[in-house]
Amino acid sequence: MASANCWRCLARPSQRLLVPASLLSTPPTPASAATFTTSAQLRAVKAGSKDDVNLSRHIRAGKNLILGKKKKRPADKGKPPASGERKAFRKRIQLSNNNALEVPGLSEMTAENIVDPSSVGKILGLPEVVLDQLRASEAFKPTQTWGLFRSPHTLIRAETVDLAKQLTDAIGKKETLRLVITGDRATGKSMLGLQALATGFMNNWIVINIPEGQELTTAATEYSQIHNSEQFSQPVYTVKLFQAIFKANQHILSQYKVEMDHMHLPISVNRGMTLAALANVTKEPEFAWPVFQAFWKELLLPGRPPIMFALDGLSHIMRVSDYRSPSFELIHSHDLSLLRLFTDALGGKTTFANGAAILGVCTKGNNPIIPSMEKALEQAAAAQAGEPIPPRDPFFKKYDERVFDALRGVRILNVKGVSKPEARALMEYWAASGILRLRVDEKNVSEKWTLAGCGILGEMERAALYDVRSPV
Amino acid sequence: MTIIMGVNFNEKKLVRAPSLSYDANKKELSPDNEPTLQKALESFYGLGPQLAARIMAKNTIHPLARLGSVPPKTITALTAELSTMTIENDARRIVQDNIKRLRDMGTIRGRRHAMGLPVRGQRTRTQIETAKRLNTLERGGTYSKI
Repeated sequence: MASANCWRCLARPSQRLLVPASLLSTPPTPASAATFTTSAQLRAVKAGSKDDVNLSRHIRAGKNLILGKKKKRPADKGKPPASGERKAFRKRIQLSNNNALEVPGLSEMTAENIVDPSSVGKILGLPEVVLDQLRASEAFKPTQTWGLFRSPHTLIRAETVDLAKQLTDAIGKKETLRLVITGDRATGKSMLGLQALATGFMNNWIVINIPEGQELTTAATEYSQIHNSEQFSQPVYTVKLFQAIFKANQHILSQYKVEMDHMHLPISVNRGMTLAALANVTKEPEFAWPVFQAFWKELLLPGRPPIMFALDGLSHIMRVSDYRSPSFELIHSHDLSLLRLFTDALGGKTTFANGAAILGVCTKGNNPIIPSMEKALEQAAAAQAGEPIPPRDPFFKKYDERVFDALRGVRILNVKGVSKPEARALMEYWAASGILRLRVDEKNVSEKWTLAGCGILGEMERAALYDVRSPV
Repeated sequence: MTIIMGVNFNEKKLVRAPSLSYDANKKELSPDNEPTLQKALESFYGLGPQLAARIMAKNTIHPLARLGSVPPKTITALTAELSTMTIENDARRIVQDNIKRLRDMGTIRGRRHAMGLPVRGQRTRTQIETAKRLNTLERGGTYSKI
């Protein structure tokens, strides 16, 4: 028995449907279509002539769920990135941004104003030449926010002036400054290291920078045993370092000539050759380490320019490395020749006739916890402050004597948050660059400074520039 | 292409990789666009991660090295070292001889091997895929999947 009512939705046909169609003035709808809704008509209009009478389907207002029909995604036609391309993108360093506003009235950093106490709390631009040198020595990190600004500028903080002064004083007296920059996470340790390197470049010292300590110890680059020695060299990295030294220090190195006879070298090095040529003489990994040793010996001769040797990620080189010796034992990082060179210099075993600055920059991002290093730094800090030296834990067995040797008598620079005037200068620079959309007044500066745990720079960036920084 | 023990390897191949999965069918020839996370040393039958790590340490090759970056001198040393070891067919023959001996004695273990069934008393109603895959008389041979 057929019912006039709709079976599925139990809706009653309205009175209107029961009235004969001829009495209605509006054009008749098909009998199967419901009149309480206009969606049928809408649908019919939308579908056009193709299935305008195909209304046997039940029609409901609103969305209807269609199951069982999966949409096929169109195949991705783009080429996948070539090998190494993604990493290159991740590690790229962008030092300028044309969308950012140019900040007028900022002066450039010079060798004089970086040691001037009156420039504390100022933003200074990096000169073009120094920029190229810093880039060559890989002083910029991909995590730093250079890419947000028109041109690279840095905040000169009290620590910067202090450090630059220590560096220039020690080197002026032809002494060796051995210093470790430490401090909490994101306080600007690497940035301070960069400013120190810039100081070195501006004072025409020879600057050697190892940008990541962990690149040397995580067993990701070639190594080979040095003949008749317990040490291991890292030839490919040494070649890379040579290239960086050559590029960054070319104009100084080319003023000095080779003065010693290097008979034992596998390649001919004559007297009268410039040091720049010596740095560029080999791209053969096999000869890299002997040539580097010769180069280092030449640099240590009296009458050469002062040396600045810096390494970022100090804690990574204070542990046992991931390399294995031919007898399948793990190699201590200090048995890797390049790192031995650095730790000897940092520990005061190497004597520099012309003055030197050896900088170790700690990192707190992914650093391993090394009790020996922590204790050694603690002791060095106490000695520097003239306090009683904290003793080692007598019940802890695994202290590493070599770490204590490497950090013997170093100076400590503990980096903390910036002061409020410095924070204000920085925020004004951000605002002038068009990145910070905020009135820079006492209240806002205080707010960001407090949010950042008393002016920790990385946290201030997070608090203020969160929405514009690149997602690294 | 680098040749170790008469096997051609793509230059981009890692000498040894930390992961353990390996498909033996791809060993003999690898086209140039092969994924690079394959292993060269571990692709030899009878040479696993432990031995590979030791051989590499002995020749001071770092764990992420690719074959293209290993100097020819070291490759020669590797080949010389591998030629003294019981790997590939020698290693296969040992395993196959053991199975054959069991079968010839008429033991249950030998029979089960020959039938491709579990050898050590496991149930066979379900879950015998590993046994089906591995247990043959010609274990590790041409038609075997390892």
